[in-house]
Amino acid sequence: MAGMELLSDQGFRMDGRKSNELRRIRFKKGVFNQADGSAYLEQGNTKVLAAVYGPHEIRGSKSKALHDRVLINCQYSMATFSTQDRKRRPRGDRKSQEMTSHLKQTFDAVVLTELYPKTQLDIYVEVLQSDGGNYCASVNAATLALMDAGIPMKDYVIACAGSFTRETPIIDINHLEESSGGAEVIMAILPRCDQIVFLEMNSRLHEDHLSAVMDHVMAGCKDIFNVLNQQVREELVRRTVQDSLVDSG
Amino acid sequence: MSVDIRLASSRGKGADLYHGEDPGNIVTPGDVITADTGFMRGHGTYMEEDCLHASVAGTVERVNKLVSVRPPKTRYNGEIGDVVIGRVIELALRRWRVETHSRMDSVLMLSSVNLPGGELRRRSEEDEKMMRSYLKEGDLISAEVQNVMSDGCLSLHTRSLKYGKLGQGTLVQVSPSLVLRRKTHFHNLPVGASIILGNNGFIWLSPTQDEQDGDTGGYQTNLQPVSHSDREVIARLRNCVLALADRQMLLFDTSILHAYEASMKHTVKELLKPEVIADVVDLVRQRMELEGS
Amino acid sequence: MLTNKVFIKKTKSGGVMKIVREHYLRDDISCGSPACDKDCEALDRYPLEEKPISDSKLVPVPHYIVPDTNVVLHQIDILEDPSVKNVIILQIVLDEIRHRSAPIYKRVKDMLCNSAKCFYTYCNEFNMHTYVERKPKESANDRNDRAIRKAVGWYADHLIKAGIEVVLLTNDADNRKQAVAEDLMAFTVHDYVKSLSNQSLIDRLANPLNQSSDFGGKTLFPEHLGLAEIQKGIRSGKYLQGTLLISRENYLEANVSVRDQENMVFVQGLYNLNRAVNDDNVVIEMLPEAEWSCPSSMVMREDDAKDEEDEANESMTDTETLIRNKVPKELRQPTGHVVGIIKRNWRQYCGILQPSVIMERTRHLFIPAEKRIPKIRIETRQAQTLMSKRIIVAIDSWPRNSRYPLGHFVRCLGEVGDKDTENEVLLLEHDVPHANFSEAVLSFLPKMPWTITEEEEKRRRDLRHLDICSVDPPGCTDIDDALHCRELENGNYEVGVHIADVSHFIRPGNALDQEAANRGTTVYLTDKRIDMVPDLLSSNLCSLRCDVFRFAFSVIWEMTKDADIVKTDFTKSIILSKASLTYAQAQIRIDDQNDHGNLTKSLRGLNSLAKILKKKRLDNGALSLASTEVRFHVDSETHDPIDVQTKELRETNSMVEEFMLLANVAVAEKILHEFPDNALLRRHPSPPSSNFGPVIKAAESKGFEIDVSSGKALADSLDKAVVPENPYFNIMLRIMTTRCMMQAVYFCSGMLQPSDYMHYGLAAPVYTHFTSPIRRYSDIIAHRLLAVSIGADSSYQDLLDKSKIQKVCNNLNFRHKMAQYAGRASVNLHTHLFFKKRIQDEEGYVLFVRKNALQVLIPKYGLEGTVFLNDENKKSSSIFVYNEEESTQTAGDVIFHVFDPVIVQLSIDRSNVQHMKLSLKLVKPQVPGFSVPSASESSEQQEMDTSSGTSLSSKSNADVGKPPQKKKKKR
Repeated sequence: MAGMELLSDQGFRMDGRKSNELRRIRFKKGVFNQADGSAYLEQGNTKVLAAVYGPHEIRGSKSKALHDRVLINCQYSMATFSTQDRKRRPRGDRKSQEMTSHLKQTFDAVVLTELYPKTQLDIYVEVLQSDGGNYCASVNAATLALMDAGIPMKDYVIACAGSFTRETPIIDINHLEESSGGAEVIMAILPRCDQIVFLEMNSRLHEDHLSAVMDHVMAGCKDIFNVLNQQVREELVRRTVQDSLVDSG
Repeated sequence: MSVDIRLASSRGKGADLYHGEDPGNIVTPGDVITADTGFMRGHGTYMEEDCLHASVAGTVERVNKLVSVRPPKTRYNGEIGDVVIGRVIELALRRWRVETHSRMDSVLMLSSVNLPGGELRRRSEEDEKMMRSYLKEGDLISAEVQNVMSDGCLSLHTRSLKYGKLGQGTLVQVSPSLVLRRKTHFHNLPVGASIILGNNGFIWLSPTQDEQDGDTGGYQTNLQPVSHSDREVIARLRNCVLALADRQMLLFDTSILHAYEASMKHTVKELLKPEVIADVVDLVRQRMELEGS
Repeated sequence: MLTNKVFIKKTKSGGVMKIVREHYLRDDISCGSPACDKDCEALDRYPLEEKPISDSKLVPVPHYIVPDTNVVLHQIDILEDPSVKNVIILQIVLDEIRHRSAPIYKRVKDMLCNSAKCFYTYCNEFNMHTYVERKPKESANDRNDRAIRKAVGWYADHLIKAGIEVVLLTNDADNRKQAVAEDLMAFTVHDYVKSLSNQSLIDRLANPLNQSSDFGGKTLFPEHLGLAEIQKGIRSGKYLQGTLLISRENYLEANVSVRDQENMVFVQGLYNLNRAVNDDNVVIEMLPEAEWSCPSSMVMREDDAKDEEDEANESMTDTETLIRNKVPKELRQPTGHVVGIIKRNWRQYCGILQPSVIMERTRHLFIPAEKRIPKIRIETRQAQTLMSKRIIVAIDSWPRNSRYPLGHFVRCLGEVGDKDTENEVLLLEHDVPHANFSEAVLSFLPKMPWTITEEEEKRRRDLRHLDICSVDPPGCTDIDDALHCRELENGNYEVGVHIADVSHFIRPGNALDQEAANRGTTVYLTDKRIDMVPDLLSSNLCSLRCDVFRFAFSVIWEMTKDADIVKTDFTKSIILSKASLTYAQAQIRIDDQNDHGNLTKSLRGLNSLAKILKKKRLDNGALSLASTEVRFHVDSETHDPIDVQTKELRETNSMVEEFMLLANVAVAEKILHEFPDNALLRRHPSPPSSNFGPVIKAAESKGFEIDVSSGKALADSLDKAVVPENPYFNIMLRIMTTRCMMQAVYFCSGMLQPSDYMHYGLAAPVYTHFTSPIRRYSDIIAHRLLAVSIGADSSYQDLLDKSKIQKVCNNLNFRHKMAQYAGRASVNLHTHLFFKKRIQDEEGYVLFVRKNALQVLIPKYGLEGTVFLNDENKKSSSIFVYNEEESTQTAGDVIFHVFDPVIVQLSIDRSNVQHMKLSLKLVKPQVPGFSVPSASESSEQQEMDTSSGTSLSSKSNADVGKPPQKKKKKR
């Protein structure tokens, strides 16, 4: 009984959000000069850095090159100080490798890979602080970094996680909600064409509730998209206004 | 030596002067640019379900029927005739591979360089063996784009005395889109330094050379020590270029000179501070507006 | 709308860890009052009243009440009073209650759900206006107090224009002082309650802790250890943790079942128990071996504990040492003493006030009905009126200087001896949830008038054309099974068992489901039924009454004439029962040669098949055991029992039973096959043969041999043991065998080895309960599992979680046991009521011969009683001689053997008001100086008794309710 109550009778989650509310999202693009594109993103207390290099000549063995499209190379790592218990190794463990391959799949689906044959695109993601939804924050940050690098993509890729408690779907779950043992549904979608590029579920969730949770997570993705898109546009507007001033000179 | 350390939070945000309306030509990936089928698909766009979508975030540009989206930051897309600066990274059969911040390494063929001893010299096997003595890994060169291959790879040439190996100087790297295409990209600035504005965003700053020295194609590098004053001028120029780039100002001789002049009231190292950058860039901008109008 | 606060917490788990959690503060949380004129979020229904009527002299203006945590925890009885309304429970308070006391949390939640109470939860922690951050060096409690004050302040400001005040109730003097300094209205609960017009509330106030200091400064008990010290001690092994189980015989002795340890640790004496109460989670320290003790044979007498405390206190330690010294070394048990209490498990206790010399005193002692609970000191002004009443009391605290725990009066149940009161008592004491269903629960009932939707009709098999009927005991309203049987064209029979489809109405996880899961079972008292599900379902929508369409879950077999099953089919269906018969009616139909109706044919088919099935089952080794069940004929007006009868068994009883067993087994096999890990099954472990000792011995005395090597052997040897001249012998033998059996229990299949699934009594490898979903929650789970396995319904997470299922099972087992006890207690109660007005001689048989008593069975009433052979009053040595070898008692020339017929006199022993006993006195055979004259001879006495009670009215006898157990408890 004294366990945690993910959703109170009054409809609030443990951190004061309602079931369909997101955590605060803040981000900054172009945080590295060296990289072609980069972004820093906070979703609540989950903080992620993403950097994109490329497309550039294949590094290492040339045989990896794909003759018809770009080779996407991802690396997901978590800083040793990102979790409550200090991590031993920042990358290369099973979880990171899995995440790496998930990211690769996700972005293979959305980058217009056929434009740059025989080249390589590196996406590096580093989780600085982890409070649940690492995959989601990583995807969102990488999307922004890709955009910063001017890599052509079909659409934004936005990821959001959700769970189900007390007959209610909750979205953008934090670490506490993630580790409470309930099901976790992670989705990455293209918000404007409503395509799902990635879907993962951990633990068991009843089939009847799956579509409800997916709908809510989808809606959450779109909310995230709106937040991101608004700021991206604002920055672009600011820049073009400046450019036009200079051009006139 | 004193070091100036400040917290990020104490940095002024800078006045947001251009908090403005959406000019209407801003798109982000996935946006529908037009459903009209009469347009041609340009860079940064793709077709899906009979609609033209943007694939990058940037401004829409229309040239007649051609619609393209120009992102603010991108890798260098070479065009024939561009002046580029690159770094030799590898020697291969009868060619050098040159990094030019393009999406693939550029190629400088042995046949498209001027070798010492005359323009019409035949390339012999001997020359192939001597390649490394002309240009080795790590050398910086200026060159011109001779050809763009089908896969986007650039082929360079240095068959003019103004191109060739670069000697003493400073390389500054900025986004290619900030370098304004002009008639000439080589300038001997009146402040006592030369500048090469590579279209690929690489900018070369060097002390001004005597006329006749420049004609060697740079195969003999002048290793004379550069005077302190020249070095300071170059350093100031470098910081000015970076300041302008930081504020997304287009780079060309006038803008750089303006910045140089505006920066004179600050010391060189102060030019790295954000508020000084803002100050200098604002001055440049005002001056350009004045002159433009 | 979202502002963000990150707060930092340090917890200790091995090392120090910094936990950063987000905490969003909002500005959109409604104050919950309809009188609000600010831009609060609009609610559909405002929980608080717009114009709260003030009843208090302290606050004569409209106001809302905000209690702090301790007030809610300790004065919940006050808050639960219907006259206390318009209370704002702050989120911070609710959270703290949740951590500190689950039962109180539930009660608060019930009140919050109850719209008549006008309770509202205000989420002060999430509101940007009322959130307070913990200051450096501020304790968590101080911060919470500050948060409460801040919320009250905010409310006061917020509602100032609406003309509503907000009153903080806190018993913390410091908090109150600061609140007043902040210009808030703050009172103690005691002051506030005393200012109310409803004066009866005062008695229910819990004693505040500090008040105990005026008991005189003498400390009787050592202090309890702090939590940190306890944890350290447990880790180092110095202390042990366990649950305290007070002995039923002597409340000063207890055993502690220590965690992860098999042996119990003995605790003796008031001082060593150190204020621990039965069921508390305690920490003990072992005593040195020299001080080890053993349970004393002395039975605690009521009068031992004197009211004069001091005297008792002083003697307390002395007697203890005395006892200890006498203990011989070999009898000593590991003994410990309580050093700390981790969690109190106090509940509310039923009992009576101890008569006091001075009635006018406000301080009284309360004697709980449960013997394992110490007396409780309470304060009441209504002692005189409560003196002969059954009352409920809650313990508040047990300070170090008080011999008894301090408590407060909760409510009065009614007159001692009154049937309703006693029913209430036995329900409370057996922890049977019997409150009316809450609004939240009722909201999940289908809306009336209920109709069958087309969609449902499509999903179910239509069996309305079949001749289905139900056979139940008379007066049964919750009919959960119906049967049919028809001959197929190929000569086989189609037999259907149709069970009420309760799981259709009770959806998993909702309040209705949770309530049913908690209740676990319907409890049948002699004159009352405590439903597991609301009446609308149990007696109407789910009950398979005749001539209405009902949803059913059907098991349909195709059987040959020899009752071999050809095919089994499970389906959800719609049925139309053609008749609701009683066992007797069904029997008459079967026996009536002239009746050739379809229904009767169907019944006859069922009956003949049932006989074959039963034979097969018995051949297989199933036991046919006996227990005595009685039913009372109750006077229709006074509801007092006027006649007792043992239950009559007909063929039809066995017929229904046979098919129910068949269905249960079929379902058990099916769900076990589909859900090998999480099927809810019922098992009956085979008893160890040592259990059968008494039976074997008793049978031997009559020259029979009982073979207990297997169920089959046992059944056979029981069948053979028949004495022609004593027809009751066999039945008695079976009753004795029943006593040797283990309890059948529910379990989750994934938790045990398949070899343990066995149901011994029924000789079935797997078994479950499927056929009574209206009155057993286990059946609902079985229904759900079966529905999922045939694809008729969807599963849900908890259904697939074996540990969750096992948890459900544990609760069901507990509730079942309690329901049985309650049922038996109810029978006892009625027996007592029945004999209250009479003294009667009855024939009986000696069932057991004990060292100091004979246990006698009276077949007429199905009663069992004890004839004590040594008279308690005289304390003289008995005239009886006990022979342990042959288990006989001899007095002079009279010898008592097991199974000997005797005549005993029945009457009620009223020496103890709380625990009335049926006393038996020997009439025949006569033993001089011991046996009493028969009742007819002492008619004077009887007349005296009847005249004192109300005279019997001889109105028509109504046979009310179901018998205590509808089916035999072994099933």
